[in-house]
Amino acid sequence: MDGVSYQRFPRVKIRELRDDCAKFELRDTDASIANALRRVMIAEVPTIAIDLVEIEVNSSVLNDEFIAHRLGLIPLTSERAMGMRFSRDCDACDGDGQCEYCSVEFHLRAKCRDDQTLDVTSKDLVSSDHSVVPVDYSDPSDYESSEQSRGIIIVKLRRGQELRLRAIARKGIGKDHAKWSPAATVTFMYEPDIHINEDMMESLTIEEKKQWVESSPTKVFDIDPVTQQVKVVDPELYTYDDEVIKKAEAMGKPGLVEIRAKEDSFIFTVESTGAIKASQLVLNAIDILKQKLDAVRLSEDTVEADDQFGELGAHMRGG
Amino acid sequence: MAMNNNYKDLEELVTHHVDSYDYMVDRGLEVMLDNIKPLKIHDSFTNTSLSHILVINLINPRLYEPQKEQGSTKRGALLPFECRQAKLSYTGRFEADVCFQYQGRAVIREKINFGHLPIMLKSKLCHLRGADPQKLTSLKEEAAEMGGYFILNGLERVVRLLIMPKRNYPMSMVRSSFRDRREGFTDKAVVIRCVREYQSSLIDQSSVTVKLHYLRNGSARLGFWIEGREYLLPAGMVLKALVDTTDREIYEKLTCCYNEKYSKVKGAVGSELVAERAKIILDEVQDLSLFTQHDCLQHIGEHFQPVVDGLENETPSNVAHTVLKDYIFIHLNNYDDKFNLLIFMLQKLFSFTDQTSAPDNPDSLQNQEVLLPGHLITIYLKEKLEDWMRKAKKLVQEELGKKNNFNFLAVQDVKKVIDKNPPTQIGLAVENMLKTGRLATQSGLDMQQRAGFTVQAERLNFLRFLSFFRAVHRGASFAGLRTTSVRKLLPESWGFLCPVHTPDGEPCGLLNHMTCYCRVTSYFDSQGLVKDFFDIRKSILNVLTGLGMTSSLPKLVQPGPPQVLSVLLDGRVVGFIRSSEIEKVVAHLRRLKVLAPSLIPGDLEVGYVPLSIGGAYPGLYLSTSPSRFIRPVRNLSISSEGGRDIELIGPFEQVFMEIRCSDGGNGGRSDTFPATHEEIHPTAMLSVVANLTPWSDHNQSPRNMYQCQMAKQTMGFSLQSLPFRADQKLYHLQTPQSPIVRTSAYTKYNIDEYPNGTNAIVAVLAYTGYDMEDAMILNKSSVERGMCHGQIYQTETIDLADESSRSGAAQKMFKRSNIDKSLHSLIDSDGLPYVGQKIHPNEPYCSVYNEVTNTTRTNNRKGSDPVIVDYVAVDTKNKKYLQKVNIRFRHTRNPIIGDKFSSRHGQKGVCSQLWPDIDMPFSGTTGMRPDLIINPHAFPSRMTIAMLLESVAAKGGSLNGKFVDATPFAGSVKKSKGEEINSEPESLVDELGNMLKSHGFNYHGVEVLYSGVYGTELTCEIFMGPVYYQRLRHMVADKFQVRATGAVDQITRQPIKGRKRGGGIRFGEMERDSMLAHGAAYLLHDRLHTCSDYHIADVCSLCGSVLTSSFIQPQKRAVRDIGGLPPTSNASKRVTCHACQTSKGMETVAMPYVFRYLAAELASMNIKMTLHLNDGLEA
Repeated sequence: MDGVSYQRFPRVKIRELRDDCAKFELRDTDASIANALRRVMIAEVPTIAIDLVEIEVNSSVLNDEFIAHRLGLIPLTSERAMGMRFSRDCDACDGDGQCEYCSVEFHLRAKCRDDQTLDVTSKDLVSSDHSVVPVDYSDPSDYESSEQSRGIIIVKLRRGQELRLRAIARKGIGKDHAKWSPAATVTFMYEPDIHINEDMMESLTIEEKKQWVESSPTKVFDIDPVTQQVKVVDPELYTYDDEVIKKAEAMGKPGLVEIRAKEDSFIFTVESTGAIKASQLVLNAIDILKQKLDAVRLSEDTVEADDQFGELGAHMRGG
Repeated sequence: MAMNNNYKDLEELVTHHVDSYDYMVDRGLEVMLDNIKPLKIHDSFTNTSLSHILVINLINPRLYEPQKEQGSTKRGALLPFECRQAKLSYTGRFEADVCFQYQGRAVIREKINFGHLPIMLKSKLCHLRGADPQKLTSLKEEAAEMGGYFILNGLERVVRLLIMPKRNYPMSMVRSSFRDRREGFTDKAVVIRCVREYQSSLIDQSSVTVKLHYLRNGSARLGFWIEGREYLLPAGMVLKALVDTTDREIYEKLTCCYNEKYSKVKGAVGSELVAERAKIILDEVQDLSLFTQHDCLQHIGEHFQPVVDGLENETPSNVAHTVLKDYIFIHLNNYDDKFNLLIFMLQKLFSFTDQTSAPDNPDSLQNQEVLLPGHLITIYLKEKLEDWMRKAKKLVQEELGKKNNFNFLAVQDVKKVIDKNPPTQIGLAVENMLKTGRLATQSGLDMQQRAGFTVQAERLNFLRFLSFFRAVHRGASFAGLRTTSVRKLLPESWGFLCPVHTPDGEPCGLLNHMTCYCRVTSYFDSQGLVKDFFDIRKSILNVLTGLGMTSSLPKLVQPGPPQVLSVLLDGRVVGFIRSSEIEKVVAHLRRLKVLAPSLIPGDLEVGYVPLSIGGAYPGLYLSTSPSRFIRPVRNLSISSEGGRDIELIGPFEQVFMEIRCSDGGNGGRSDTFPATHEEIHPTAMLSVVANLTPWSDHNQSPRNMYQCQMAKQTMGFSLQSLPFRADQKLYHLQTPQSPIVRTSAYTKYNIDEYPNGTNAIVAVLAYTGYDMEDAMILNKSSVERGMCHGQIYQTETIDLADESSRSGAAQKMFKRSNIDKSLHSLIDSDGLPYVGQKIHPNEPYCSVYNEVTNTTRTNNRKGSDPVIVDYVAVDTKNKKYLQKVNIRFRHTRNPIIGDKFSSRHGQKGVCSQLWPDIDMPFSGTTGMRPDLIINPHAFPSRMTIAMLLESVAAKGGSLNGKFVDATPFAGSVKKSKGEEINSEPESLVDELGNMLKSHGFNYHGVEVLYSGVYGTELTCEIFMGPVYYQRLRHMVADKFQVRATGAVDQITRQPIKGRKRGGGIRFGEMERDSMLAHGAAYLLHDRLHTCSDYHIADVCSLCGSVLTSSFIQPQKRAVRDIGGLPPTSNASKRVTCHACQTSKGMETVAMPYVFRYLAAELASMNIKMTLHLNDGLEA
């Protein structure tokens, strides 16, 4: 194991942090790590989602599987998920995956008794665990809208129709089913490095400059109203679409601008479904990534170690 | 939804079905009964006095709304949904009065019940008539129910529209089969399909085709069919028989069309040969020594006396009159009119043989009309009633012959005898005709085919259902034809039949679809009143005479073209117009058509065939008849204020009209023929389904054809009234979407009520190779989130009453066994499954108890996939026990590898992989992952540019939050006056590209994507955007076929075939050949022997037979073994040769079992097969 150390020390700089959205820079690493992080965030950070539905009464227009599928897709607050057990690994319950360590029970009872259509929403789901509830998207600061927002519609009932069911939510990962994926979108881009050839740019007329600036569909460049100079406004808006470079070539000025992607610098955008906070999602992903690496390191030493990782074993076997 | 919630435009698409049925109910039946000849029965045995002649006829038909009937008590309205669920027929009682009249006595009327006739949905007798969407939904129907079909045994059936030759129009034809008729015939004839009319223009739809053959000697024969035999009469004889006239007059009439002065002028049709032919025609009659009308009638009468039944006792001249009336030009009542028409036809025939006019093309829409459901039922019913009357007469006469106490003078007695042939059979016969689409008829009803008149209207999806009503079939007799000329797309069908919407393959060009604007004329005028053709014609004639037409009077001889043109109104020569004035007359008629519909009906066809050199035979052919195609165009001579310039034109007149496209140009027309009309919109040439393809003008045309087919096999939102349906199989898409890019037809026809697909984000790239050769990669996570999820609803109907009647009178009921508790988890105490229960293959879903044998039997699920019980409906009607149930199962059909998908541009593909989200490429800026990846190779050769446009437009549309209009040919429509022509040059691509650019996307619709696996940028930009994708009904779950071991054939012991029975796929000769070619001997042996009918046979090496081996009874050996002796080699062999009586030579040989079977088969033919065995060492 001797030799040159390739160890790097990646740096993270947080730019923006909201509950449902995070933006950060990841520097001093390469695409494999960035992509691994992205993949883990989408597919391997555990959340809780409804996995088993027992329908007692369903006289709605939607069939049982349809409703079960819709219930499964409702994001549930899953701060607990990291600490929970997978039902399949749970030894507290004898395999039916319905104990408090590995599952959360929900009940839904709705019946429409008047002539107005009744919307059955995620708010009608009654949880057995106050920490695992359907995600509330309404803005708490806005009183009026919270009155109206009724959560995610599951089904609409007309007079006389009824829906009664029991649902079991379990821990899972996005690799097994998309409903467990905590991430709506995770994406990263290479940070662009833009150099404008100032001399060449000065040889352009103001009209040409304008044309050139407008050739980019995103507003990467702008003309300074005072100095009449082209400047980079926001390099990150650049989508690597090469439009400006093509435009420069078409204008007979190749090399007017030089754009390089920084190979070791990434800008991440993480949007959460609301199941866990975007920041937590990133942290959890890093944790899981670490665990996976640990597993690799351990398995190098002992072949038998493979089966002993508990919950990690699944990660390893799966991918 | 803020849609226009009226379905007027949809309803209009099926009006031709409903209107024709309505007319049948209103008037058609009555007219038809009037036209049935009264029965005359003589009591010739007892008395010959006059009072013993009984006349029976039918009057006053009554058709009632569908009722629930039990015996004779009515129990309220029978609704269509009940019929569909209970597998009943939606029929109404059909009654009529029989009038018995003994000569010289008063008429006695008796009610007679003719059974039940199927009632068309939304016709006047249907309970759904006039119901608004709300009412319809409360009646458990679709809100957009259009009607136009029948429900028979719970199945929805539509009468197929068939192409018929245009009625009452003499058509010149060349057919080599005419030559073989008889000696001296040529291949030329003028043919006219006459539809019966009587009194004041009442039409009963029955038709007789008359052919006027040209003979090599210059004469002509009039051919027509009576009772399945063709009769040919000399034209001269018919002429003379029709009118009492001189030879001179006939000669003049025939030769008037030739004038030496004009013989070389454009439009001249006669030649100097006409005079000679006229002479030959007249001489022929003279040679038979028939000189007067009376002579001719006498001659004809004698000839036909034995042929026409019911006239045995009439005088020959009466018989001749009947023949002339009932078989020759039956659309005319007046002999003078018949005479004139025959003269006209002769002139046309002569001109045609002289090649001064061209033959008419019977395959062209110009000379065609359509057979409508109401008309088909009317003529079929007429035939059945006539049969019934004939039978009734026979029965009465038989009874009279029997000399028992049958009283001929008592009406009750007569009626009882007549009732022996139950009149209720008639309703049943019609129902059966609609059920099977087969005509059970002797005469053939002047139809080209006997079968295929109705089809089941499958509700696979709405577009397919709709297409059944718009489809027009050329006729089953053409399907087998080797020639392809009938399938050709002819320019005559422009605007009436869609050039795009026809299936490829076997029925290509034979099964066409009407364009969205095409209608069919009916008996109803625009106010919804029954047209009075007598008044209409009178009014037309008045207008024509006012415009300078000389009426055709019997003795008046008019010169022919090019000086004067004949005017035919519905096949009657009504007069002549000078050719110098004809253009003015036609223009005036057209104006009146639009502006004064009370004078000239709006759907009058003004078929003006102008003078030409060797073109179509000139004349002015007016038709008012129903069942013609019509379509609206703009008449440019009328100001377009208030949209009152819409003229309805037919395919006959269209050929000779100047109609320009509405793009504002003149279409390369020369100034001598300025356009008189203008198309309303270019999309009027497309059918409804073809109109839904976005920007179909940017696609290669076969792709649009494919889309029309695939749209009809899409798994979409087929029905809204799903809970009330019991269709055998229904496909249903769980989460359909409205397309972002849509045409104007989409909104017009409310397709949003029945959406057919999903807006999928499609990336065009070659990724991982799993999208090669039209395969496509689906995003597994998208599928898990519900994309393209679907179900199949399948209904199983179990009728115990039906079963028990077949297998004796054993009383059966639904009940579960109390002994076998294992079924209780699947079957409820009533013997039926729990709703919502999942049932796996081979598990029982209902249990039937047999009272007689005291046993319970379960019905087990077949098939290979688990199903869920969706719905159980029971029929509780007046039975002690439940006898009839519908059990509807739900198969979940979520996308899996092997399912078929297609865009709206004929780009179909099969799902080859379901990649998880993380492996899909993603966009760096938006983070979007595509739902679907297709290969770029799908585009270059197929040239479906519209799909690319759709992708770009939908991307822009979704960014804007607006639907994008993709109506084809939008660029070829004149801009409305407000818009300047300056804004024209902006192309569609430019418009769409700039839309994307304004939202910060690439102008060309491409995006920079990163590999989902490596996180690196893909080397080129990827074209990505939403495309509306349809899921096609072909799914692997219904088709896969695998087996390792399983059932084998009884005789050959080879694996059986057939997916249903768990059989294998045949490893056939060609497969064998390829194995041999590869030298894969082991594999070949494995396939054909080891995995097939591997068998170890005992062969006797002494006699070489495979068949003579027999087993020794083991007991015998057991007895011998007791002695404790070591078993001898002989004893260890259990087989012995029966022929050699020894087991010495027995050897085991591995062989296919069929080989042994072959030996047995040969033995049965007394052929012995001997095997010579060696151990392979010597060889």
